[in-house]
Amino acid sequence: MRHLILDLDAPLMSFGGDLVDAYGVVRDFPAKSMLAGLFANALGWERYDAPAHAALQDRLVMGSARVAEGQRQREFQTAKLEANDRGWTTRGRVKGRAGGADTYKSPHIRYRDMDADARVLIACRLDPAGEAPTLDALAAALNRPERPLFLGRKPFIPSRRLVLGVVEAASIPEALVAALAGIDAPHRAQVRAQWPLREAIGTAIATGAQEEELTDERHWPAGVHAGLRRVMVGRLAWPEAAA
Amino acid sequence: MTTDPASAVLPKFLQIHFLAAYPGALLNRDDAGLAKRLPFGSAVRTRVSSQCLKRHWRVTDDRHGLRELAKKEGVEGVRSKIAIEREVTGPLRDRTFAKEAVDAVEHAFLTKFYGKNAKDKQQRQALLFGRPELTWMRQQAERLLSENPDAKAAGAAAEAWLKEEKANLNQLRDQNVLAASLEAALFGRMVTSDTRANRDAAIHVAHAFTVHAEQAELDYFTVVDDLRDREQGDDAGAAGVFDTELTSGLYYGYVVVDVPLLVSNLTGCDRRDWRGEHDRALAAQVVEHLIHLVAEVSPGAKLGSTAPYGRAELMLVEAGDRQPRTLANAFREAVPTLDRDSNRSLAQRTARALTDHLAEMDRVYDTGEARFQAAVAELRIDGIPDGSLRELAAWAGDLVRHP
Repeated sequence: MRHLILDLDAPLMSFGGDLVDAYGVVRDFPAKSMLAGLFANALGWERYDAPAHAALQDRLVMGSARVAEGQRQREFQTAKLEANDRGWTTRGRVKGRAGGADTYKSPHIRYRDMDADARVLIACRLDPAGEAPTLDALAAALNRPERPLFLGRKPFIPSRRLVLGVVEAASIPEALVAALAGIDAPHRAQVRAQWPLREAIGTAIATGAQEEELTDERHWPAGVHAGLRRVMVGRLAWPEAAA
Repeated sequence: MTTDPASAVLPKFLQIHFLAAYPGALLNRDDAGLAKRLPFGSAVRTRVSSQCLKRHWRVTDDRHGLRELAKKEGVEGVRSKIAIEREVTGPLRDRTFAKEAVDAVEHAFLTKFYGKNAKDKQQRQALLFGRPELTWMRQQAERLLSENPDAKAAGAAAEAWLKEEKANLNQLRDQNVLAASLEAALFGRMVTSDTRANRDAAIHVAHAFTVHAEQAELDYFTVVDDLRDREQGDDAGAAGVFDTELTSGLYYGYVVVDVPLLVSNLTGCDRRDWRGEHDRALAAQVVEHLIHLVAEVSPGAKLGSTAPYGRAELMLVEAGDRQPRTLANAFREAVPTLDRDSNRSLAQRTARALTDHLAEMDRVYDTGEARFQAAVAELRIDGIPDGSLRELAAWAGDLVRHP
């Protein structure tokens, strides 16, 4: 099966997790909704094209590996919100803010986590593979995208081309290992990785693999994340580069 | 280093790279009052966040500020005053609707937004509707006409609808007053619950960071009460002891302009049709102003005590349609602040790192971007045409005007 390999390298990136109150935490591996959104952005889809996003997300089979761990940072932000902030809507009603006068006495404080100096590989395929957009169409869209692409938030722009290439592999772990073998990066014996549950390990060497439950798929029509996805998280051996 | 003639590239994305130095300043703080930082490659750097940079560019009041542009455009611009005829009711005129019915709806819309000045186009208030606004209004006009084929009924239905949604439409009008709309075209505007009403920002701004390891100093200071009379007792007059962090740095910053979105935000056209028959003059001016703002506006706090004013010493603009990428990795190995083996300055070594990285990217990816720079001698990159900041802005503006 053909797998598309993406190389995520940037001074800052973030794989958003469950946001509670003002704390925007991140996860170690990109969400399925993020990858669908990245492709959709490259293809120039609009946010309200919910069925197209949902269909693409459904077809994606993905895994990822942290080539460089980097360091997790907590960004401190303030925002000045005003009680009379308003916006028109296509529903015919003005959208305003709630909250009493005290709510607006001081700036709104937000914390946003992000990974500095990390590098992450993604391997993905489409199932079914034959429908549009195809894997080749996605790769072409990333190279000449309709909009600038970013890793989690708009300021986090990649420092290299995202498309590393297409590899032939029997499964996601094998595709990740094939990508690791060819990448120019400081070598480590093992890298932390995530791949779909029940995906064959094949010739890859995995240690400490555990099942994990995630909510990382977006219900696009409702605009919220929902459902449960089971994945495996563990370590993949990084093969020495072929001499 | 290859630099294609500008005519050979599609200037879909303008990538602006800049190097700017700020000595002895505290530009952007975290919640502990310390400078924001970034661990990157071989060293921790000082960082200025994207939101800090954007805010200073957005609110600046100098002659390249967006408000100045809005003032000028409000007097000279005509396109923004006839958007309803062109984009809302205009496209409905080739359809099966009766001309009188479309006229009635158009009249109702114009009166709603321009009041008594609706008749004289020059006298109308400058409203800069974006694509979300125009698309939605066109859908509503189309619905009114479909439901009411008769001219009289269409006019009455339009009046009734405009009255019913008065609050929302007033809000829509207020948000699209020229200055506010110009700001939204560049920096975005969100109502999170309604993706169809959002205006996305046409620029992406990366966090700026020092090309070298952080250089921080704890500044110890006392505040003395000069009015205190020593004769009154044994009080030595010291009223407070404080410390604050000051940092010095040569920062690398990176901005991408999404030109199709900027044109769409300013003309109401579909972003895929940004090269069509639209008046891109305002978009070009916004780009020219933005280049000046990035080069000349300092992201500073503690203005009175550190005077953190500087100009970018290198501005490099690339135009093309490939996936935009930052040149941050040029500085992944921090540029040494001291180099005892050569007489090269920090600036010269920084320029060398950037030049080498760019050459490497060109070699690996057959980069096809058109480039132009405005730089001081020490930071100039070999093989890229250069000129003054004004010439650089004009070059980028022309690409937008005539893509």
